[in-house]
Amino acid sequence: MRNLGYLIKFSYRNLFRVPKRTLIMILSLGLGCGFIIWDLNFSNSGSKEMMKEFLTQYAGLYHVTNKDYYDQKNKKIFNPFKTMSDEELERKDLIEKSTRRVVAPVFISGEKKTLGVLLTGLEVEKERKLSTLYKTISAGTFLEPLGIRQVILGKKLAQRIEAKIGDEVAVVGQAIDGSVANDLFTVVGLLDFGGGDLEESLAFTQFASAQELMALPPDRFHQRVSFDMNQEEVPKLNTLSASYWADLIPEIGVSVNFIDNITWFACIVIVVVVSMGLSNTLMITFFEREQEFNSLNIIGAKSKWITQSLMIEVFIMGTCAILLGVLIGSAATTYFYYNPINIELFTGGKPIIMGGMTIRPMVRIYAVSQYYWQVPLLIYFFLSLTMIYPILRVIRRSQNAI
Amino acid sequence: MQFELSHVDKVYVSSEENKVFGAKDVNISILEGDFLALVGPSGSGKTTILNLIAGLLLPTSGFLKHGGKDITSMTLEERTQHRLDYMGFVFQDYQLLPILTAAENVEFPLQLKGFDKKEIKQRVEWALAQVGLEGMGKRFPKQLSGGQQQRVSIARAIAGRPQLILADEPTANLDSKTAQEIIELFLKLNKDFKLTFIFSTHDQRLIDQVRTVLYVKDGQISEKKVHNV
Repeated sequence: MRNLGYLIKFSYRNLFRVPKRTLIMILSLGLGCGFIIWDLNFSNSGSKEMMKEFLTQYAGLYHVTNKDYYDQKNKKIFNPFKTMSDEELERKDLIEKSTRRVVAPVFISGEKKTLGVLLTGLEVEKERKLSTLYKTISAGTFLEPLGIRQVILGKKLAQRIEAKIGDEVAVVGQAIDGSVANDLFTVVGLLDFGGGDLEESLAFTQFASAQELMALPPDRFHQRVSFDMNQEEVPKLNTLSASYWADLIPEIGVSVNFIDNITWFACIVIVVVVSMGLSNTLMITFFEREQEFNSLNIIGAKSKWITQSLMIEVFIMGTCAILLGVLIGSAATTYFYYNPINIELFTGGKPIIMGGMTIRPMVRIYAVSQYYWQVPLLIYFFLSLTMIYPILRVIRRSQNAI
Repeated sequence: MQFELSHVDKVYVSSEENKVFGAKDVNISILEGDFLALVGPSGSGKTTILNLIAGLLLPTSGFLKHGGKDITSMTLEERTQHRLDYMGFVFQDYQLLPILTAAENVEFPLQLKGFDKKEIKQRVEWALAQVGLEGMGKRFPKQLSGGQQQRVSIARAIAGRPQLILADEPTANLDSKTAQEIIELFLKLNKDFKLTFIFSTHDQRLIDQVRTVLYVKDGQISEKKVHNV
């Protein structure tokens, strides 16, 4: 133990041999570490903010449905004949932050054209509270809570079927009893998703109007959509099924994962590049001291002792760099927590279209605790790899004679 | 204590046809209190013999023993430990660690030996006093003159109270006056503590003051002279 104390003291003193060089090594590694921590925090917060913005607009975090509503292999396919009621829901606590929806694949006809769309019946008041769908209204108004057979259309859809606010459109579909469902709806508003594809295929009406169209009993519906964004996991249900957004819109989940993985990959590349530079500097530093290592060996320092002292030296330097990096990373993260970054800075001012919807998030960067040990571990790992070659070479060459 | 080299050969082979004898049939017996110099021109093999005694090189044939123990059969690490336990070294260019103070340089082998703090302090003070550097322990090597640095190097060598001190051209980098002072220091340590010294040198001032001179030529001990000093 005493020997270890002396080894640490000896290694620490060696850092001051060429102070400028040590400082540069600590700064380069520290800046790299700080940038990586900030970048991972940014990527994580960016993904979360974008997803939050996207999911609260319409999709929700997860859908509670009848077990057979979504096709198990491809959740893009659903069966509107499979409905549910709140009586079947064993977790009543989920009701507060979720909203009921009736989803009907229908044809919608304007004066000259008919198109296939997804008509969704919404609980208007609750939807206003939980989602931001009402914010996408670009013309007219959102649905009135007590109104009946009102419809809001995607802007592109309205253009294609040549429907204007105040017009009546015919809706034709199939009710769940097998009969033909048809009714006239009044256009009260237009939705602007920033030109996304959903503008062409979505229409919304009041919950009760959709139930009536689909010939559903008052207590039955298709989905209970949760907007409880703080929930980490999808609830486990027995009689019903809960489907996470990433399973419902897998292409978005894959994109987000891809961005996260790319960020990690870029971080590893940064560490490797910095490590290679560091390895080169360490090699120069160690070779300059080759004769000294030889002398140490002659006067009685075993190779193991010399190796340990070099490793401790690099470890101390790495620890200083990591502490600096954590400090820099934390400071930058905190700064951008209070000064959110407009994501459009990275897209040349253009909005991001995600899953057919336009999102314009301001990213507030949050610190993710796991990065504060994962990144240092990654750096220690590469630092260990970095010093293997220089140390081996030095030890092999230092065992010479006087 | 007795260091013994018996029929020691050291052959450097660069190719099948090209073999050079660094040491050839070397027989030396070193007794406690010896004050001996290996003398010869550059490339004569005197440093090779010094390296063999230190266990830094292994002989191609022959024996190298210390107190009856065969050094040639020891592993690399055992030989390093053997040097630490029984030998001290003085180098031509001092080889002090620039990051350590004079006292810390002297302390270094004592730390390797695992002495306790109190013992280290006593030994460092004793060694620095022996070489006339009391009160200069806190200076770094660059703050010392060449002669003072060599004194620190000698203090480092004697601090562990070794049986044998090997000195490779210890006066080569020093001016006449300082060299003479260092030689006198060696003589004093030899006399006061019966420390055994083996020098590799071509410094005539040192040669004139050692008791035994072994002339080395082509790796062989060509002549032995004993002075009555």
